[in-house]
Amino acid sequence: MPDQAPMPEFSSSVKLKYVKLGYQYLVNHFLSFLLIPIMAIVAVELLRMGPEEILNVWNSLEFDLVQVLCSSFFVIFISTVYFMSKPRTIYLVDYSCYKPPVTCRVPFATFMEHSRLILKDKPKSVEFQMRILERSGLGEETCLPPAIHYIPPTPTMDAARSEAQMVIFTAMDDLFEKTGLKPKDVDILIVNCSLFSPTPSLSAMVINKYKLRSNIKSFNLSGMGCSAGLISVDLARDLLQVHPNSNAIIVSTEIITPNYYQGNERAMLLPNCLFRMGAAAILMSNRRSDRWRAKYKLSHLVRTHRGADDKSFFCVYEQEDREGHVGINLSKDLMAIAGEALKANITTIGPLVLPASEQLLFLLSLIGRKIFNPKLKPYIPDFKLAFEHFCIHAGGRAVIDELQKNLQLSGEHVEASRMTLHRFGNTSSSSLWYELSYIEAKGRMRRGDRVWQIAFGSGFKCNSAVWKCNRTIKTPKDGPWSDCIDRYPVFIPEVVKL
Amino acid sequence: MDLLLMLFSLLVSYLTFKIWKRIDSKRDQNCYILDYQCHKPSDDRMVNTQFSGDVILRNKHLRLNEYKFLLKAIVSSGIGEQTYAPRLFFEGREQHPTIQDAISEMEEFYIDTIEKVLERNKISPSDIDILVVNVSMLNSTPSLSARIINHYKMRDDIKVFNLTAMGCSASVIAIDIVKNIFKTYKNKLALVVTSESLSPNWYSGSNRSMILANCLFRSGGCAVLLTNKRSLSRRAMFKLRCLVRTHHGARDDSFNACIQKEDELGHIGVHLDKTLPKAATRAFVDNLKVITPKILPVTELLRFMLCLLIKKLRQNPSKGSNVAQAAPKAGIKAGINFKTGIDHFCIHTGGKAVIDAIGYSLDLNEYDLEPARMTLHRFGNTSASSLWYVLGYMEAKKRLMRGDRVFMISFGAGFKCNSCVWEVVRDLNVGEAKGNVWNHCIDEYPPKSLLNPFFEKYGWINEEDDPDTFKIPDELM
Repeated sequence: MPDQAPMPEFSSSVKLKYVKLGYQYLVNHFLSFLLIPIMAIVAVELLRMGPEEILNVWNSLEFDLVQVLCSSFFVIFISTVYFMSKPRTIYLVDYSCYKPPVTCRVPFATFMEHSRLILKDKPKSVEFQMRILERSGLGEETCLPPAIHYIPPTPTMDAARSEAQMVIFTAMDDLFEKTGLKPKDVDILIVNCSLFSPTPSLSAMVINKYKLRSNIKSFNLSGMGCSAGLISVDLARDLLQVHPNSNAIIVSTEIITPNYYQGNERAMLLPNCLFRMGAAAILMSNRRSDRWRAKYKLSHLVRTHRGADDKSFFCVYEQEDREGHVGINLSKDLMAIAGEALKANITTIGPLVLPASEQLLFLLSLIGRKIFNPKLKPYIPDFKLAFEHFCIHAGGRAVIDELQKNLQLSGEHVEASRMTLHRFGNTSSSSLWYELSYIEAKGRMRRGDRVWQIAFGSGFKCNSAVWKCNRTIKTPKDGPWSDCIDRYPVFIPEVVKL
Repeated sequence: MDLLLMLFSLLVSYLTFKIWKRIDSKRDQNCYILDYQCHKPSDDRMVNTQFSGDVILRNKHLRLNEYKFLLKAIVSSGIGEQTYAPRLFFEGREQHPTIQDAISEMEEFYIDTIEKVLERNKISPSDIDILVVNVSMLNSTPSLSARIINHYKMRDDIKVFNLTAMGCSASVIAIDIVKNIFKTYKNKLALVVTSESLSPNWYSGSNRSMILANCLFRSGGCAVLLTNKRSLSRRAMFKLRCLVRTHHGARDDSFNACIQKEDELGHIGVHLDKTLPKAATRAFVDNLKVITPKILPVTELLRFMLCLLIKKLRQNPSKGSNVAQAAPKAGIKAGINFKTGIDHFCIHTGGKAVIDAIGYSLDLNEYDLEPARMTLHRFGNTSASSLWYVLGYMEAKKRLMRGDRVFMISFGAGFKCNSCVWEVVRDLNVGEAKGNVWNHCIDEYPPKSLLNPFFEKYGWINEEDDPDTFKIPDELM
């Protein structure tokens, strides 16, 4: 990532800060400011004319009843058609995250002990895993599925299916209870699980368990990495635009059981240390009746795919090592590639969400660089003006650090991401929902707040979604954070000595 | 007065303009097939009887009873001598596949088909707006769709979806996604890539219900180019009229009819239960119930309802229950004439039994079933892409005329039954069907006999009685 230069030093001076604020206010409310002189002129004109003249003008207008009725009907009809054919608002009614049982916990001590026993002839790999774990930003309460607790792990297809059933069904039961939705009312079902794809699909498994309708539209996406959750939201949005009065359930999860790497290639041991069990079930709807109880409205969703660039494509790659063990190879340039993908995504989403003042500044700095002085530092728009909350995929400590630096976010903005990484580990596509749940549990979500969810995935993809909070959300009584939210935020040291 | 009138007319014309724009955007919601290209693997991948025998003998877990079962299955499969298998079978490595094998199998397929279909239509890969890939049994990281985007350097704002595990009916599901996206976004080009991955999925155990899958599936795939651009609608081949999906996953017996699992020895294979035909019939009937009113003319529907009414009135309640019990055993005849609304039938080539069963229930004759039977004979069961090979046969035989309606029906694990109806947009029975995968051999079809020489060569196995003393003759090893 080319170094992001800080703003010129003199902007830290207080006087200029107020000038900047005033400028922002002026540009953002430009049209309203334009209206004031017009209203003033009209008022002056009216006063000048005097009351009798106004009455004369009114009387001279010859309207008979028919004309008035016809024209008003026409206007009302046209405005009704206009409003009814608007693109539908897509609501996020509610969502629920899976809270793993305490029995699946993997504290550092357990992980290291198992590691030493499984890789007993390879002390260097054990040490490598220890160093990763120390700097990972994970806590002591992350969970792995039961099959991985065996020494050595027993990743059979049955075990993978039972993990899938455990996480998905628990999350869905919770969702049905929270929203009061009957299984027969589900119209669309999208399941995304990147690394496990049995036949029949996980979506068929969900349909079987909850006896969903036979004309349900189901889709099973896989292989799309940690950003697949937002891809599912994109598909749900496109489908909900076409089908009126429908709802959609999205299940985002990652099944760890079949993907535990059993070799000792270092770059492939990394996912073992970071990926943990988790799932989220989300209910989206376009029904008008859900307007009152929905938590969020979907404002924008932007997908960026950098697959055309070879380096980006090969940076997260599943392959066999020399001994034939299958694992996921993470390249060393992952951070740089993530930064590039983020830049591409920001260029598309910026104009949609940034206030006019920031866009104008960005445009002016762009013109300045192109025409006058190419050495001028590029202006990084201040995304803190566009969003109140940020949910950055908890891919790993390095990802969160990098994004914090690039977007110039404060510690509080990335708190949700860091704490999710600490408490739940990297749960892949569902991590964004754990983070959102954290913000709600902290009572920070107010009506009108805008949330930006950013996720990266293999390929290399960067997807981001912008939600607008529909109603102030009270701290939920249940949920993945209910028993531990008071302990958070915790201070996560740079290195945890093991 | 003039000012008011002007303001009023301004308001009205602005609103009218907005309404017109909204209505106009709804006109571009049709889903057209511009072109499609099926994959014909190279001839060094052809599987004949001798080779099939060799592959079966390589599996050391099989005994006499399994050989007898396999013989029966293959002889009655309807599959001929020219189907294709993945390369690693010819290298003897089908029991130890690597990830690279699966990927090269897919690469060989998509590089061939996508290249041809894009070149023929003079479309560059960066013009593709939507990409939907469905390969049921391959799950790689990065996904196959990312691989295609990388190979063809497609745009970074492409809408891409990678569907897996949706079985042999996934083609229609991919078209469903594209259809829905076309309704929201104007002027888009979509590419649907459908295939099946055989390399990593060879079953090396001895469970009979799982070996069946080994015998039936063959290599193949298809790339379909779709659009909703009005400017390209004249060049298009087909227009989508309706699409119906039925999912019977809620029923436990349907769900467990086709399931991937480990056998007693730990080998992973796809278990095809004995209740599969019943599950398929149930899903099929349900699907027909929904799609028939959409595709048949009102006169036919009224006639059918009248007949049903008369039949019900004639039956006594006591007699009625007997008839109801007898009906499933004999196979369900729809009783409605589908030829009134449909001209051509694209049936998923799941196997000879599937084609026969559908032919019976829809009351189709040999002419209607010929494309499906010939596809099964020439290419085998290529899973989700089989529908497109059947369509290719019809096109090569010059059967498709403008205005004709084509009915596609497919089944999939879960248990799903998906169907759709296409209308032929321009006369496809004139001129040469460029790039049609049947072009080189269409004149030999239909052949005089569909029997394969398997029985000739291996029929002697049926004479053997004792599985314990049975030994494979040396000349076959």
